[in-house]
Amino acid sequence: MRFRAKIVDLACLNHFSRVINTIAKLAKTCTLRLTVNKLYFILSDRVANGGVSMWCELCQGNFFDEFQMEGVAADHNEIYLELMPENLSRALKTAQNAKAVKIKLTNKHSPCLKVAVELPSLSSSSRIVTHDIPVRVIPRRLWNDFREPVVPDFDVSIYLPVLKTMKSIVERMKNLSNYIVIEANLSGEMNLKIETDVVSVTTHFKDLGNPPWASEDGCQSSAQGRDLQSMAEVRIDIKKLQQLLVGQQVNPTKALCNIVSKRIAHFILLHEDVSLQYFIPALA
Amino acid sequence: MLSPTPSFLLEKRGKYLTFPLKLFWRKLRGATCFPVDLKCISSCFVSLAVFGRAVHAMARVSDEFCFDPIDKGLALRSVNSSRSAYAYVFFSSMFFQHYCCTAAPQPCQKERQLSLACKLIIKSVLPIFRCVNMLERHVEKCNIYTNAKDHHITFQLLCRNGIVKTHNLAFQECDPLQAVFAKHLCPNVLRAHSRLLADIMVHFPTSQEEVTLSVTPTRVCFKSYTEENTDFPKTMVTEIQLNPDEFDFFQVGVDSEVTFCLRELRGLLAFSEATSVSVSIHFDTPGKPVAFSIEDVVLEASFILATLSDSRSEMASQEPACFSQMQESSKTCTDKSIDKDGGAEAAASKKPRWNRQAQNTVSGAPASPLAKQVRSVPTVSYRDTAGTGGTAATKADDRAVLEAESPYHKVRTLPITFTFYDRTVTYLRWHLEAAHYTQSQSSEVISPHVLFHISHSCDLHFPVPFVVLWSSFF
Repeated sequence: MRFRAKIVDLACLNHFSRVINTIAKLAKTCTLRLTVNKLYFILSDRVANGGVSMWCELCQGNFFDEFQMEGVAADHNEIYLELMPENLSRALKTAQNAKAVKIKLTNKHSPCLKVAVELPSLSSSSRIVTHDIPVRVIPRRLWNDFREPVVPDFDVSIYLPVLKTMKSIVERMKNLSNYIVIEANLSGEMNLKIETDVVSVTTHFKDLGNPPWASEDGCQSSAQGRDLQSMAEVRIDIKKLQQLLVGQQVNPTKALCNIVSKRIAHFILLHEDVSLQYFIPALA
Repeated sequence: MLSPTPSFLLEKRGKYLTFPLKLFWRKLRGATCFPVDLKCISSCFVSLAVFGRAVHAMARVSDEFCFDPIDKGLALRSVNSSRSAYAYVFFSSMFFQHYCCTAAPQPCQKERQLSLACKLIIKSVLPIFRCVNMLERHVEKCNIYTNAKDHHITFQLLCRNGIVKTHNLAFQECDPLQAVFAKHLCPNVLRAHSRLLADIMVHFPTSQEEVTLSVTPTRVCFKSYTEENTDFPKTMVTEIQLNPDEFDFFQVGVDSEVTFCLRELRGLLAFSEATSVSVSIHFDTPGKPVAFSIEDVVLEASFILATLSDSRSEMASQEPACFSQMQESSKTCTDKSIDKDGGAEAAASKKPRWNRQAQNTVSGAPASPLAKQVRSVPTVSYRDTAGTGGTAATKADDRAVLEAESPYHKVRTLPITFTFYDRTVTYLRWHLEAAHYTQSQSSEVISPHVLFHISHSCDLHFPVPFVVLWSSFF
């Protein structure tokens, strides 16, 4: 099992840092899956996470100048590592003007992801900062826990409003209530509602647009025969929604939300080279 | 540097006291009022921000600090509760726009030389200087003055738009503690601009407690230290390797790895960045303290931190820095003569002039056990230059805080005039030692004994019993 990667371009490094920062805000511990072409940050839907799950996919060629990986076996050419993305985020935080960043999987006393940052300095040789991030190698028999989640059979799919606006609204609502109701319909209307004993607040969004989803086998999805005005709603933990919105440092190219009425809210955020899916289950 | 006391101050405040010059005595009772005005004007942004950062730096070490004005300037000192960190910042009077620290002698206490050191709670002072940026922008002047009658120190901030914020803080008198640490005897010395050190420390998370600095002649390495079992580490380990070229001054006498507490140091680093002065690091083998110091024309600062010894025991319990009390407790120093047998007491009465002064200035006749009581036992930084009794007196004169000083020396100076054989003695200075000298021509003297210095002539050593003889001679 071997893994080495190198980033030399500063713009790529910044982009990668931003992705890691977003992941760090969403999960304390997550799984990093390495394949020949892609990196995945996976959070599986365990009770410990509050039922949320996350799937983030990056194309390695867009970030790394060098990328060499050898998996656990020839036919399973992948590596699954469990780590704390906060550590990786911290390691990259002070590397903003680095000459090069090298990441390597090592096993001196225990498996570690070694991030070596070469920084420019006034003297002849550069300053080298090394961060040893402890990781746990996930054995092959547990790989099934980390399969790609399927897009659920949603009732409504809608584009999200500008994330910055949504974030500030959700933050204010968080002070009033623990739960938020998201409802949307196929006419591009979405409401964010909170309701407590003393107050109820609703924010209405219009003209958001509904993304077209082509079904695989040609038959209509459940959303097709649906009344355009009727709202599908789901009640979720407001903190989880806020975590998702706070972590977004850059506006995504596409941001949409699939709602399975009273079951789950599925958020998809697409950037040029990164896709992030986040599932928040409904609360009773 | 004493400015002449303006007359209006005399009217406002009552009695004054002289300030200590060479001897370190604690003021026991009696009110003292001393006006200390520190003014920083708006054209001098640096000053107030620097002062504020000094207070912040002190806050990192302990909950309270000692505010100790002397004629040369203002000293701030603090020690943490486990005695493993000592912080000292000294602002000379030139740092301030106007500095006046005076006190007139009180008639009844003519012979005593008194000082006033105040202990303040950091929590009370910190809010005044909390937001350093705001200080620079809004505050035009800051006056600090004291009124010891009701035990208050007043910080007065004169802000823009005519706003005046006055903070009256109560203080407690305290004995300032002074760390004894011989920087010049450390084999390893690094000096770098504060910017470099800040750039290094930024890589460690703010929660990182301890850091190891390891040096060899070709390499400098800062590494985060964790006490975890290395088989299953949970925390990230960060290591920074530097070339010795990056330091302004690099001297490695002995390869060593010292581990110290980063949290307390960050205060000094922030402070030194505000002053943009180079930071010097003096250290030795593990277990001996490490000193971070900055020195400028108008200010100097030192942070002395204990380091982990090789046996890896707890820092706090293992190696507290050595502190000698600047001011011994008056309980242990009695007004008896120096002779433990009290023989000199009888003799003392024969010579009134001697005795009155002797009573006031001489410590009790401590045999070595008592001397040990008064001084804390030096475990670490005690670099006694034993056997240099000849220079002990001059060392005592040196009020530099961190100079080496044998912890067993207590030097008393007594101006006197008499002739001894063919020489005229202008002063007698004596101290007590538990160790023995080898300087005397006669056989080695076992402790305790008294060393007499006689002006510009050789040193004469007399064992204590001899003093009895001596005084009875007169």
